[in-house]
Amino acid sequence: MAALPAADRAPAIAGTDFADIVRRYQSMVFSIARHFVGDPSSAEELAQDVFLQLHSALDDLESDEHIKFWLRKVTAHRCIDHRRRRRPPQVSIEDAPEPSAPGNAGDPLLARRLRQYVASLPEKPRLVMILRYQEDMFPEDIAEVLSMPLATVKSHLQRSLAMLREKVTRTMGEVTL
Amino acid sequence: MNSINQNPDRLEHALQDALRREDAPENFAANVLTRVAGKSAETEPQHSWLSIFSRPLLRWAAFAAVSTCLALGGIHYLHLQRERAQGEAAKQQLMLALRIAGTKLQLAKSKVNEINTSRPQSQPENRTPRSRS
Repeated sequence: MAALPAADRAPAIAGTDFADIVRRYQSMVFSIARHFVGDPSSAEELAQDVFLQLHSALDDLESDEHIKFWLRKVTAHRCIDHRRRRRPPQVSIEDAPEPSAPGNAGDPLLARRLRQYVASLPEKPRLVMILRYQEDMFPEDIAEVLSMPLATVKSHLQRSLAMLREKVTRTMGEVTL
Repeated sequence: MNSINQNPDRLEHALQDALRREDAPENFAANVLTRVAGKSAETEPQHSWLSIFSRPLLRWAAFAAVSTCLALGGIHYLHLQRERAQGEAAKQQLMLALRIAGTKLQLAKSKVNEINTSRPQSQPENRTPRSRS
């Protein structure tokens, strides 16, 4: 099994098995990719590539928090690269399909619609939304991970929330939770 | 009754619910480790070949060998240059000698021609009286 080399490693991750790191963060990395890309098999391939890159970069990472930050950053960048390479037909939030469900739909339907609407956002706002609501990250941390000004992150969040709210209102009426 | 449209927190909670983490596919970690092992196996031969130079003694030996080769190559090149210069000088000397010899030959030839042209004019004068007698 691929264990981390102990030399030049901070105590926090010295002696940690690479397999343990994969198991600890696989859900986080896969979910970011899944929510961004949509297709589960592409998301799995992308997430595997991220861990492969992590294996090569482990010597430069000093702590568990550093690994977590690195994984979020690399996954976000790989998501954007993946999208730009494949470049599917861009669907704006305005063009997203209208649901035929009644207004007082239950949680699963609302969640499905929200995922659909988030998936139709442009790349950067989509990543911001995923990191904010999947990873529960603060805008300051998102700005650091995405190498983006804090004001831009806040602007993406506000505009995306406003658009989602409007879309939900228009398509599902007064949704009660 | 709170609606998602009236309470911003409701929308945010709904988003947290919609975008919550999912479990990675089964065997995800095993697949990653298999790919890591495959990648390590691919890069290992190159690594072992290059690792020769990580030993100081071998690194110095390689440096000395390369330096010796460069020095020998330089000496050989200088030797060739010197031989070429000597050959060129010998060629120039030969050309000069040939030019001098050619000039001398030309001079001798012109002398011979001069002698030959002067001799036939005196012979008819000697023969005429003898034929008359």
